[in-house]
Formats: sequence, structure tokens, C-alpha cells
Amino acid sequence: MNLTLHINGIDHQIETPVHTTLLSALRGLGFHGVKFGDEHGLTGVDTVLLDGRPVNAGSLLAAQAEGHKVATIEALGEHPEQGWKKTDGLHPLQKAFVENGAIQCGYCTPAQILAAKALLEKNPNPSEADVREAISGVLCRCTGYLKPVQAVLRAAAEMRGEEQVNWESVHWDLGNRGDQPTNLPTDQFTNVMTRPKVVVTPDKQTWQTVGKPEIKVDAVKLVQGKPAFAADLEKRGLLHAKVLHSPHAHARIKRIDARRARDLEGVAAVLTWLDIPRVVYSTAGQSDPIPGPLDTFSLDHKVRFVGDRVAFVAAETPEIAEKALSLIEVEYEILPAILDLREALNNPTIIHDETEYVNFADSHPAKNLAAEIRIDIGNVDKGFAEADEIFEAEYIVPKVQQAHIEPHVAVTYWDEDDRLVIRTSTQVPFHVRRMLAPVLGLPIKRIRVIKPRIGGGFGGKQEVLMEDVAAHLTIATKRPVIYEYTREEEFIAARSRHPMRVKMKTGVKKDGTITANEMYALSDTGAYGCHALTVTGNTGHKSMALYVGDGEYRKSPNIRFYADVVYTNTPPAGAFRGYGVPQGYWPLDRHLEKIARAMGFDPIDFRLKNAIHAGEYHPFSTAWNEGREPRPEIIHTVGLEQCVAQGKAAIDWDSKFGNEAWHSTQSKIRRGIGIALVMQGTAIPYLDMGGASIKMNDDGSFNLLVGATDLGTGSDTVLAQMAAEVLGVPVDDILCYSSDTDFTPFDVGAYASSTTYISGTAATKAAQICAERIKIRAAKMLSRKPALSNVEGSKVQGQEGDLRPDDIRLANRKAFAPDGSFVTLAEIALDTLHKSEQEQIMGVASYVSPSSPPPFAAQFAEVTVDTETGAVTVDKLVMAVDSGIIVNPATASGQIEGGMTQALGYAVCEEMRYDEKGQAIERDFDRYHIFRADEMPELETIFVETFEPTHPFGVKAVAEIPMDGVAPAVGNAILDAVGVNVDENPVTPERVWRAMRA
Amino acid sequence: MITDYFRPQTLDEALALLSRPNTLPLGGGTLLSHLQADSVSVVDLQRLGLDSLRAKGNELEIGATVTLQQLLESEHCPAALKSALKLEAPLNLRNSATVAGTLVSCDGRSSFATALLALDAKIEQAIYDNSIIVYRVSNIGEYMPLRSTKLITKITIPLNAKLAFEYVARTPSDKPIVCAALAQWGGKRARLAVGGWGKSPSLAMDGTEAEGLESAAQNACHEATDDWASAEYRMDVASTLAKRCLVALQ
Repeated sequence: MNLTLHINGIDHQIETPVHTTLLSALRGLGFHGVKFGDEHGLTGVDTVLLDGRPVNAGSLLAAQAEGHKVATIEALGEHPEQGWKKTDGLHPLQKAFVENGAIQCGYCTPAQILAAKALLEKNPNPSEADVREAISGVLCRCTGYLKPVQAVLRAAAEMRGEEQVNWESVHWDLGNRGDQPTNLPTDQFTNVMTRPKVVVTPDKQTWQTVGKPEIKVDAVKLVQGKPAFAADLEKRGLLHAKVLHSPHAHARIKRIDARRARDLEGVAAVLTWLDIPRVVYSTAGQSDPIPGPLDTFSLDHKVRFVGDRVAFVAAETPEIAEKALSLIEVEYEILPAILDLREALNNPTIIHDETEYVNFADSHPAKNLAAEIRIDIGNVDKGFAEADEIFEAEYIVPKVQQAHIEPHVAVTYWDEDDRLVIRTSTQVPFHVRRMLAPVLGLPIKRIRVIKPRIGGGFGGKQEVLMEDVAAHLTIATKRPVIYEYTREEEFIAARSRHPMRVKMKTGVKKDGTITANEMYALSDTGAYGCHALTVTGNTGHKSMALYVGDGEYRKSPNIRFYADVVYTNTPPAGAFRGYGVPQGYWPLDRHLEKIARAMGFDPIDFRLKNAIHAGEYHPFSTAWNEGREPRPEIIHTVGLEQCVAQGKAAIDWDSKFGNEAWHSTQSKIRRGIGIALVMQGTAIPYLDMGGASIKMNDDGSFNLLVGATDLGTGSDTVLAQMAAEVLGVPVDDILCYSSDTDFTPFDVGAYASSTTYISGTAATKAAQICAERIKIRAAKMLSRKPALSNVEGSKVQGQEGDLRPDDIRLANRKAFAPDGSFVTLAEIALDTLHKSEQEQIMGVASYVSPSSPPPFAAQFAEVTVDTETGAVTVDKLVMAVDSGIIVNPATASGQIEGGMTQALGYAVCEEMRYDEKGQAIERDFDRYHIFRADEMPELETIFVETFEPTHPFGVKAVAEIPMDGVAPAVGNAILDAVGVNVDENPVTPERVWRAMRA
Repeated sequence: MITDYFRPQTLDEALALLSRPNTLPLGGGTLLSHLQADSVSVVDLQRLGLDSLRAKGNELEIGATVTLQQLLESEHCPAALKSALKLEAPLNLRNSATVAGTLVSCDGRSSFATALLALDAKIEQAIYDNSIIVYRVSNIGEYMPLRSTKLITKITIPLNAKLAFEYVARTPSDKPIVCAALAQWGGKRARLAVGGWGKSPSLAMDGTEAEGLESAAQNACHEATDDWASAEYRMDVASTLAKRCLVALQ
């Protein structure tokens, strides 16, 4: 049909099929700021303004919009400098989002801004609740909504003409709890405060950019809705891929006939297991060799879960591809299915009976065992014998979804050199290239993987999950192919957090000393063993290591961690932020809380008494290393006690804990407060490697190329900050690009909380190499006569005699001699590239660490419990974190806020379940609820800095640790409120209600 | 898949189009725009003038294409109904979804339908009868179980009834696991609806006074086990919520 759409004030005439949604029409016209997030409008990233109201473009036919005014993010503002053309710049909302650190992955940012714009046009002076309500239709999985809300309030203030805070001028008193910036202009700005509290370490130096809340290097692009994501690429002749998924949990394909599908007009290719090579591999995006079994095929003649792959289709449109799927005839021999992890081990039904299966370590497919872990540290049995009391209990943790708002998406095409290009939303571009080469029958050198901006990953994209589908279809058709997951596919055919049943046994002396601690995890990897060993290994490795005992036990802790990771006929589990560790802290910390209460200990004192100290060995480093040789490692920095002190003060623990009057405010409502202490890791020692290259440009700016994968976390920004610090330039002068396997150095990718630490060290080292060359050149230039340069403001003679490079200091885009004379970096660049002894100043470096310094945190939660219904409301979350030195407090606190919010879902509402046939119960964001802006508890982040000596800037990781403590802290707070234990999370109303009635 | 789109200007025209096979009325489009079924025609109702809200005596007349958000923002909308509307869908969807479209497509977790059931809303539908438009009005209690496919033109709710709404969900903005809505008229008539499961909310009680409210709530939940909660839980909690509704109205 022919339509006229009035978009951003301009009429656009299009000819389009009747069923075209407004989303498709807009994206077809090049309005890429409007995104796909789901089929039901529940993510809201497809928001546009229709006659000024926010609506979901994906939930409207384009035809419905005819005769209405459509506004997209492209109408708001743009980069203020466009060469000779000046523009009005960014809209105040866009500016506020950029400056307030409200953008992480940026996938939902245009939608949030449009929703906020609609609000401010109606209500220029909104309350925080108004703002939260206004953006409640847009899900954000990254930020926890705090900074976006603050950005809208700040923009509203600016649009009202109120005085703005100059953040650079704000004095931060980083002393005792309760201090606030002291020179804010007026009280009204306290509600737009966006900086976390940072408790500095005396070891910290003063740096120019490290430690500053620099604006994210990709923020301006993302706030304009630029076509920065994988699906935003427009290719002529692009085909659309769809996958036929198994309706059965376990079956053999007896017959498959795709002729009718192939005959359908508009279908370019249909592939079944008969059409492509049978190559066994693992989809886990990890270094070589993959620390897990090889048990997966692109297509197989057996399906192992509802949602497993049966066939691939490429067609001219998604609708034709869908239609083709329905024409594929498949005859299945249905096999018995294992849906309960407790029934998997030694079940006569064997899920992996293929001959090509390749074992790793103790995997045993005949037993349905993907991995087995047996770690004994010290003498556990002796420790139990020495205990005065022994506590045993079993805990259950659920399968949950990463729920990144941008689905998995990949575009593949042959380039002009007959090399296969894979543009994909991945956390692991180099692993994609290496791992897919044999699957596709191509040498690594003929594959190029490009990682554009990523709309969130959270581990879900540490998987080579679906790039092969598009790639096989491009090979089959010679045409570019896009494969974009639907939201339902994310639920039935992506990865998830491993569900587990965990048994705890702990021996304790009367004085509160833990004498032995034992954990057994029965872990469900689902149908394939991707990440089976390593995720479950971390469940024990990073939780059980926190408590070593006290006194003699501290010197030789007694810890046992055993696990069996079993196959079931459910969708595979995999990597999810936290990587097994949240599964460990729910049982461990809930168990310690119970012990403390049973034995009459203060729960915080009990934990701290037994917690690991600086200078002690990480107990597991002597016994386990993800299937590799263990290497003992000393923990240098532990800020746990300070975290506890700061967090207690922030949540006002002392006036609440044990105070009955505070607990009981209304007749049927009780309040409770809880804590959990946690630790995580920073990278995988001796394995995770990151590379960086830096080259100097004519104007003294630098290209920083990194293989590290910014998935919205801000890693490009913090790497740029570290490089800028070394080179003495503002972050603006570092043009960071990540990642492209053709151009950027190798990096394992974004996982294991490694980027700031590992890739940051690589970037720092590369910058140091550049800086060395710059200083050599500067020394020469400054030694030349006559004078070449200025002391700030006045002309002086050049240096007499030769300057040494070591005498040169880089700062403010200049190279300074000791007497204050200088040359600018731009002058140096011109000299090196054009004038004398020409050379390209550049540095390439890589880093692999012998250490994995753990971050630590104290997580606090405050809840109210309805004693009649079991409903739990989490009112406040406070997290005090020791992540070493904080390179960028804005991006780092964004990580904590977003992580706590994801963890909050794990605590109270998120759960993936299956019916008796293995069909997923949760398939969308209606059934699988993630937190919205209008229902968030108060969030507070405190950084307790320590200086980690193994990193040039003293950093440790921040990304994953916020996932670990919220659920147990909430569970402990419920216990504190109503005196009952819920040992299975999420703590749904009925689970709490049942516990209260037990 | 939608193969034909019509945007009639009059009700007459719309009814004529809707009398054709495989033709469905299109309200906000929040569900139909994704329809995958073969060859469906849709009739967009946006130009029929069914988008007005009018207080008339003791009643509020809500046009079929009034959006959930329009109703929520109306000064005539009872506060408890506003709470129920907020739970029905996030803001963006409320800006598109129409009241009639929501009633046609909702399930038992619909807080909006639960509230309307308590309010004993009237559903007006238009049909062609010998080329003449005939309007038929049914009580929501009659309408919900069968959801006749005739075109809804108007929903009417009483303004002389007080409404209370209570719910339990996993999070404050999540769909309810159990919800209860109680309407009470000056003449003491009390009407309790419960929702949170199944295909439609259930009418638990419609009596001359509120006595027996809690057991009525319990009784309505006997078969209420699903993936989200047991009947045992819902029975207990529905009773509590009904009691809270009554307290709220008193």
C-alpha cells in the first residue's frame, strides 16, 4: 500500500506491505534511533512520539500512523560541530544524558529521551516519581534507571532556565559518611546528584583524567540514535534468516523434507543437517582450548531441548522466511526427556550419544555429566571433627535470563576479497573468528569479525550463539544475511544462568570460628555443556574463598567444593554476569546468616571474623584454575571492613538492626534489614590477554585500537582515560575503536571482569611506549636552537644543551622541559610525520596477568514484608565496594546500580521454568518481569578505594560483583523482618507466605 | 499476516467491512499488529469518533477507542481504577491500547478487567441487523466468558459506586498474582471481583451487603492453581485482599 508518513516534520511517501509495522517503516527510511527489543512493546526501545505521546512503533501498523505526527530521536539535536556548518547542538535532554553518565549501552537511550521529552512538554517541573512514570515504558537492563532519571530532572531544570551545577567546580569531601558536596548552588540540585561517594585511599595519586567522571566516548553518538549497532547496517540484497526450532525436548529427526520451503517464492536457501558439514564444537566463547566438552553441531539429526535448531531459512523478507519454516516437514522420533536436574546423573536416557563428542576433564556423556569438580583444601573432615556445631541445609537457585535489550543479532557477507565478514553483537569477536573457522570450513584468515556497539550482553553474548546461522546461509546463497533473534528466541534458544541445588555444611566453634566449610552444587547446564565447568567452578571458587576461618584455621583453611554439572533437556545455560558466583552466595551467605542467628553472633562480626585478609593466599588458587594448572596467589588488598563500615552508616544499620520499633511500623507490615559480604575475581590469571595499539596523528590526537569489547560498560572510555593519563592529553584526544579482528589487537573479550584491569594495562603500556617516543622527540626539539616554544604565556630561549627524555613531562597536550618550556603534541606530531627524521609514533602492547585480585563488597538491603500475603518490597539497596582505584566514578557507579538492579530481579522475580514437556513458561517480558523505572528501590553506591599494586593505576574489577550480594541480603532482610527462611530464590510472595506458615 | 487495512470514517462503513470474513476490528494495534495468521483484514477504528469520555448522570461513558492512558488521566476515573490501569500495561502501551481492545484480548491477570467486573460495567456492541445498526448492551459479567466478536462501541461504568483495588505481585509494577476489586453502591450493594489467573477475572460476589466477602473471595479461587501460584495461596490472599478492599471503602 502507499502511505504518507509525517516524520519529524517532513512527509515521507512509501510503498509497503500492509502488515508493515511503523518500526519497520521507520528503520527502512533510515531512522535507526528506533530499535527492536521485543514483539510486544514491552521493552519500549521502539518508542516514538505519535502526536506527542510515546508509543511503541513495533506495536503499530505503519498505516495507523498515517495522518499523525511521528517524532523520532533524529529530530532532537545533533553534534554541535559539523565542520563549517554550525548546529544548535544537542537537545538539553540529550546533553543531560551525556553529561550525567545516563548512557551505558545506549540501546534504550533514544526511547528514554523521547518519553522524557513528552513528559517535559506537558510538565516542565516534574517530580522524580513523574519522571520514573514517564520512562517506565522503556526497559533498561544496564543503568538501574538512577542516572537517566537524574538526567531528566537536570534537563528539566536547565529548560526552566535554572542555574546549572558546574561539576568541575564541585568540591568533593571524600571523608566520613554523610558528607555531601559543599558548594552546590542551591538545594534543588541535590536530587540531580549523580556522583557516587568515593572513599579515597591514601595511596592514590592525583591524576589528570583517571579518577574523573569523564563523559563516555560513545555517548554523543548513542544519544543521537546513530546507526551504531549490528542491525543498523544496510546492505543491498540483504536476506533475512529464520530458524526452525524443535517443538520437542528430546527427539531424533527421522525425516526432514525442505522441498516445499525451498520452492516458496522469495526463499533463497533452506539448510538442514543434511546440507552442511558435521563439525563438533562448543559455543562457549573462551580461549583455546575450550575448557569444556565439544558437544554441539550447527545442525544435528537430534534435538535436545525445545528450541533446539532443526533448520535454517534465508528469504527476501522475514515474513517469507517465517512462512518457509512452516513448510518444512519434519518427522521426529520422540525420546524420553530429562527435565529435572536431580534425575540426570546415570539416567538410562543419554542426551549426548553422538560419537563425535569430545570430553574435557571429567565430563562423561554416558552419565549425562558435562563436568565434575572435586576440590579439597586443607583437611575438611578434621575441621568438622573440631567444630562445636555443624549446620547443614540445601538451597535452590533459579535459571534466569540475561535479558539484554538488544537481542542477539549478526549480519554476514562476503567482502570484495572473498573473505567472510561477520558483523555481530558479541562480547568475544576474536573467539567468534577462531571458533567458527572450522565450523564454516574457512581458515581463520578468511574471516573478519566486526563488533559494533552492543546493546547489552551480560554474558549472554560471550557465546558464539547464532553467528553460524547467518554465516552458513551467506555461504549457501553468496548474499548478505541478517539473523536477529526474536525475544521469544532469547528465552527458548539463548543462554541463561545455571540453575543449581546447593548443599552447605559448615562447622563452627563456640567462639564463631569456622573450622570447615563444604559446598556441593548440583548444576544444570541444560542440553549443552557450554561454560559448564567454569561457571560452576566459580560458584565455589569465588564464594567459598571468602571465608577461611580464624586463628589457626586462617593459616590453613578447610574448604571443600564438589560439583556435578549435569545435562538436561532444557535450553543450555551459559555465561551470565557473575558467572556462577551469585549461585554460590545465595547458599553461602544465607547459611552464615542462619548460623549467626542460631549461635547468637552478631551477623556482621561473625562474617568479618572469618573473612579473608590482605596478605593471605586465595585458598582456591592453590587447588583449582578453571581446569588448568593452579598457581598460588596472594590477595594484596581487602577493603571489606571499610566497606562494612561505610555501608552500615549509609543504611543506618545500627539504629535499625535489632530495633523492634523500627521493624514493626504497621500491624501487618514488618521491616527488615540484611547484609551479605561478597568477593569476585578480576580476570583469569595467566590466561586472559588483552592487546592495544596507539598511534599518534598529525594534530597530536591518538587512535587507540583495542580488541576489548565495550558492551555498554564504558570500557572504551576508561581505557581511553588511562591512555590519556599517560600521554598527557584530554580524553577527547583519544579516539578509541573496538573491535575488529582485522584492525584491532587480540583481546579475549569482555568477560571475567577483565577489561579495565587487563586491557587497561595493555592500553597503559602501549601509551607508555608512545610517550617514550614523544619524550625523545620533545627532548630533541626543545634542545634545538633558536627557541622553539613558550613557557606558558611568554617567549623564552630554548634549552641549552641536550635534554634527556626522562626530563620531559607530558601534560595538557604538551611536552614540558623542567624549566617550563614546552612543545605541543601537535608540533611533535607534525615534526615526526612531516619534518625531520620522520617516524610513526605508535605503541603496541599486550598484557596477561599473574594475578586475579578480587574486588570485595558489603551489600545491604532493606525490605518490607506483608505478613498476610508474603509480598516483599525492597525499599533500599546500598552497596559499598572495594574495586581498587575507580578510574571513572560515573561509569563505575553505573555498573553497580545496573548490576544491583539485575540482581534484584534474581532476588525477587526472575525465574525461567519449563512445563512437563520442556516447553518454556516464560517467553516474553510479560511473564518474565524485569524491573521498570517506576518500581525501583532507592540505590546507593559507595566506593571504598584500595590501591591494587598489580595494576599501574591500582584498579580491580567492578562489573560483576554487584550481582552477588543482593539476593542473599534480601533473603537475610526477610529473615530479619519476619523470622523465616526462604531457601529458594526468587523470594516470591507465595514462597514467603509458605515459609511463614510452616 | 495482515493483508488488508481499512480506515472507515463511519460506523456504518466499519460494520459493513467487519461483516466480511476474516476481518477484525483494529483498536490500538498493540496485539493485532503482530498477527501471524494467514490473510486477515483489519478495520482501523480510529476515525469513528469512539474516543470520547463523557460523564452522564451517575455513569461514565467510555468510548471503545479511548486509550487506557486517556481513561487514567480522566478526572472522572476513580482512583482505584487508575491503580488498576497502571498495572495493566506500561505507559507506552497504555497510550496505544484501547479500553475495548484490552477487554477483548485480556486474560484473567487483567487488573483493568477485574476492576470493570467489580464495577459491573456495561458493554455496548453494535451489529448490523437488516442494514440497520442495532446496539446491544450486556453486563461485563455476561460479556467476559464468551467475548462475542461484535464490535464494542462503548463501555459504561457507574460513578455512584465506590471502588477499591488491592493486589499482590512479585514486584510493585508486575502483573498481579492475585488481585481483588470491590465496588460498593450507596444502597449497600457490594460486588467483588478477583483476578490474577485463568482466562478471565472471576466475579466472587454480588450481594446486597459485604457480609461473607472473605469466604466469597476464597471460594472464587478454588481452581486457581497455575504456574504462578497455588489455589491454596490465592484463596488465602484473595480473602485478605477482599478484606482490605472493604476497609478501604469504609
